[in-house]
Amino acid sequence: MSEKIKELLGEEAEVLLAEKRYEVISRILPKVLKGKKPLTRSDLLDKAFLNKYLGIPVFLALWWALFRFTFDVSAPLSDLIDMVFGRLGEIASMSIQNEQLASFVADGLIGGLGSVLVFIPPIFFLFFGLAILEDSGYLARAAFVVDRVMYKLGLHGKSFIPMLLGFGCNIPGIMATRTIDKEEDRILTILVNPLMSCSARLPVYVFIGGAVLGGYAAAGVYSMYILGIVLAVLMALLFRRIIPYFKGKPSAFILELPMYAMPTLRSTLAHMWERGVLFLKKAGTIILLATVVIWALSAYPWGAVHSGDEPLIEASYVGFLGHAIEPIFRPLGFDWRATVALFFGFVAKEIVVDTFGVLGLGGAEELQQVFNPVTGLAFMAFTLIYIPCLATIGVIYRETNSWKWTVFTVVYGVVLAYFVAFLIVGIGGMLGY
Amino acid sequence: MNLRIPLAFLPENKQATVVEVVGGRGLVRRLYELGFTPRTKVRVVSSSSPGPVLVDIRGARVALGRGVTMKIIVNPE
Amino acid sequence: MIKVALIGNPNVGKSLIFNNLTGGKAHVGNWPGKTVEKKVGKCVYKGVEIEIVDLPGTYSLTANSIDELIARDYIVKEKPDVVVDIVDASNLERNLYLTLQLLELEANVVIALNKFDVAEDLGYEINVSELSKLLGVPVVPTVATTQGGMEKLKETVARAAKEKSRRRIIEISYGKKIDELIAKIERILQKDENLTKIYPARWLAIKVLEADDEVLKIIEKSPCVQEIVNLLPEM
Repeated sequence: MSEKIKELLGEEAEVLLAEKRYEVISRILPKVLKGKKPLTRSDLLDKAFLNKYLGIPVFLALWWALFRFTFDVSAPLSDLIDMVFGRLGEIASMSIQNEQLASFVADGLIGGLGSVLVFIPPIFFLFFGLAILEDSGYLARAAFVVDRVMYKLGLHGKSFIPMLLGFGCNIPGIMATRTIDKEEDRILTILVNPLMSCSARLPVYVFIGGAVLGGYAAAGVYSMYILGIVLAVLMALLFRRIIPYFKGKPSAFILELPMYAMPTLRSTLAHMWERGVLFLKKAGTIILLATVVIWALSAYPWGAVHSGDEPLIEASYVGFLGHAIEPIFRPLGFDWRATVALFFGFVAKEIVVDTFGVLGLGGAEELQQVFNPVTGLAFMAFTLIYIPCLATIGVIYRETNSWKWTVFTVVYGVVLAYFVAFLIVGIGGMLGY
Repeated sequence: MNLRIPLAFLPENKQATVVEVVGGRGLVRRLYELGFTPRTKVRVVSSSSPGPVLVDIRGARVALGRGVTMKIIVNPE
Repeated sequence: MIKVALIGNPNVGKSLIFNNLTGGKAHVGNWPGKTVEKKVGKCVYKGVEIEIVDLPGTYSLTANSIDELIARDYIVKEKPDVVVDIVDASNLERNLYLTLQLLELEANVVIALNKFDVAEDLGYEINVSELSKLLGVPVVPTVATTQGGMEKLKETVARAAKEKSRRRIIEISYGKKIDELIAKIERILQKDENLTKIYPARWLAIKVLEADDEVLKIIEKSPCVQEIVNLLPEM
């Protein structure tokens, strides 16, 4: 029947009904609305922000300001939280008599809580900045500005905000894809979103880069962000070409732009809070649980690990695991400890740093024994690309409603990570490292 | 004047009347809902050829991709 | 307890109104079987508990997207006592399109005319009582950013909840030919009580003419489908 109706009525009835509804509105409006003037100011702003030549530079400048703001303001706070929890752990391990309980509270619970809380400053400041851009009406304009570029990359203009959010955390990024109407465009955006370097990966870059890249540490860290963007673009183009489901062009770009408005503190905070809490709930609980599991795996079997003065991690379940999977990573120059760190990093990437700490590689000198500059860089790239964290996988499943796409994201991530890391090590080798 | 051109070719600051919307059912329906019904006035606020176009339709500002503006046929004033 | 649904176009300040009404406390879950987030909160007005459900932001109530389907299914099937339609006062023309569709759905609508300050800054003069009279539903000016109009909104919702929840307030005329067709289809549909128990018959008839995929699927299961098919040549 539906076919028949569509055939008979086609768009005719539809256009007529929409027209009549707007006709009713046009009859009501003059009776209730007076003093309507053209939006000269808003249009002038649009002429500047959306300008063919000015649009992109203005956007890049604002974006850069947003990131500087986020990292500069949040870094000291994160350091403070890190320090406080470090102290708390020390106090706990000294004041609890029972050895196993002390280790559990200090390394498991307090350590886990600390690794969740250090994320609060960068995440919340990023969301605060984004909320200002959003409430002022600019964020929707940014989608307009980048649409041309995104289209060429096989993505939709609306894919842009989810990607931007991905730099804070992939979870709100992936959830923000809901504004994309066409299912194919939406899933494609979800698939490449984990390549946006979320704030959980930054500690890993800083930790490894700072230890082994010397004067190039900052450049190394920035290069990871660029690498992520480049890979996201390449993957989007590749998937459009080779996966039949994504064949064709991104769907039509239609977006109503909100009026420019002065952001208010209340609504900006409300926006920030909403997204931030989402992250805490989704990611926080998983990270906390995982830290406890990691603690258990690295502290047991208790007798074997704690036979000497210093705990012998190599004798733990973790050590066992690391040695078992190490051969796979040997071509990349990662030893068993790096392997273990990656294994746990799948739960949440910043756990990579914690794991190195637990395995006695917390300092620069120790790290330099494991990595040279090239393998260090390869490790950073691997951390960026492989498997999104557990919480993100959960969200990908919920948002795509498909195990197929969820598994696909995990598999392509690991394969790509291995490939890129191998490439880095190979090129480094040719250059004499 | 009874000229029919795609909205894409309307220069900045110029006004026109919608004649019809062509294309797939989903797209056409969405454009109708946003008010792009025949005889409606539409004005180009900002055009960044070959990028998207910002138009004033029924007092709202709607951004349209190039492809979409090719499917909205208008009669310029 | 009064069941209230919040609906509105994107960018009208809906989430802020939700926060204002519920004090920011919300139960966040998912719509059944869907991946779209569902927010439910509560507030109390003069001892009466009000449950507020935040529907996805949408321009329309067709079967275009998951969001639109969720919003419309909720209104049709869960039958909230009141549907608060948040309308951007600075963008009336576009926003009233959704309002008209809600009225066609025979929902018990209360309009929150939000961003009233923005509209005033732009020099707009909106005759609120006239708008309310023409649409046949209560209209409350609000300024979500400063919590303006929230008490009045609660009061209006509480009062509106006492009215019958499904009622036909205005009937949009679609021209003689279409109106006749709508009436004919409506009469046929009214024979199927299982359908009209859930859906307003006139709304179904309009959606048949719009060739709405979801509605057509529903009607195909009804015993009166043949009669409607017989009408088709008249179209």
